[in-house]
Amino acid sequence: MSALAAWTLAFCRWCNGSYFGHVIRDSAWLFPFVEVFHLLALGLLGGTLVLVNLSLLGIRFGSASTAELARELRPWMFGSIGVMLLSGFLLFSTEAVKMYGNWAFQLKMTLLLLALLFTLTLHRKVIDAQRTSAGVRAATALISLLLWLGVGLGGRALGYVTTAASTLTGQ
Amino acid sequence: MILDSSLVWLHDTSFGTVIRESTWAEPIIETIHVLTLTVFLGFVIVLDLRLLDLILLRARVSAIFRQLNPWLFGSFAIMLVTGISLFAGDPVLFYGTIFFKLKMLMLLAAALNVVVFNLTLGRSLMQWDARATTPRGAKITGLLSLLLWISVVACGRGIAYVLPPP
Repeated sequence: MSALAAWTLAFCRWCNGSYFGHVIRDSAWLFPFVEVFHLLALGLLGGTLVLVNLSLLGIRFGSASTAELARELRPWMFGSIGVMLLSGFLLFSTEAVKMYGNWAFQLKMTLLLLALLFTLTLHRKVIDAQRTSAGVRAATALISLLLWLGVGLGGRALGYVTTAASTLTGQ
Repeated sequence: MILDSSLVWLHDTSFGTVIRESTWAEPIIETIHVLTLTVFLGFVIVLDLRLLDLILLRARVSAIFRQLNPWLFGSFAIMLVTGISLFAGDPVLFYGTIFFKLKMLMLLAAALNVVVFNLTLGRSLMQWDARATTPRGAKITGLLSLLLWISVVACGRGIAYVLPPP
């Protein structure tokens, strides 16, 4: 086992045994309650992200430039990313060790990391740039949409992979 | 009762049977249902926040309506078709849960909210569109809409939670 894998597994064990993991696992309604926040933030993140990317694709929002639109939407976008990360962590901590070996979860986290990095660097740069070609803008929008769609699909797969595994073990 | 027999009828249609018995139909349709939320719910929230004067203040309400409406209608159509399909998979089971009934009630209330707005402030939109702040009624509409859609999402999660896993 590589150092990274060992460290990750130790982290998952720690999450599993943490206060949050215990409290949410032991409650009948806390898990779905946190899930609702995760979904609501998903909606807002999707909505703001799609608007900014549509603008990059040339479907402008009123007379606002992409940079102006993004400036207005950014607090909501990053706010919802914050809520998603926090609620996602809480959901994760209830079954962190099980997630460690779940391929859908690994895929989702890899794509999430890529999507976050992309959003904070290139995506931001292209949005705020004064002059960029239409091709670069369109490519940036498509990469952003595909990365985040991948994160969403990973999240959906996660539910089914978990269900399948727990059905097999009869839990 | 006529309701019971129509639920059983839907359950026994070939459409309902395919969704219930196919391995892939349900996860694929559910994934489309949930991911379309990013457009539908996302744009509803943006619209509501605009009515509450919290977002995109430099754009007029009418401009935002114009921009978002096709997307809202398109994504709502997808939500409706996928939602009804999921329901057709096991209508008796769904209808038996309190969350399903609550969700339908909240959906109805959210639709009513839109109708009332369109019949009242929607008609005088051009009179207050250019003002610096939205009228109180528009803010109430936005807040109601937010609360109702949050309840719809919560009830949707509730349904998944009380139904036994497939």
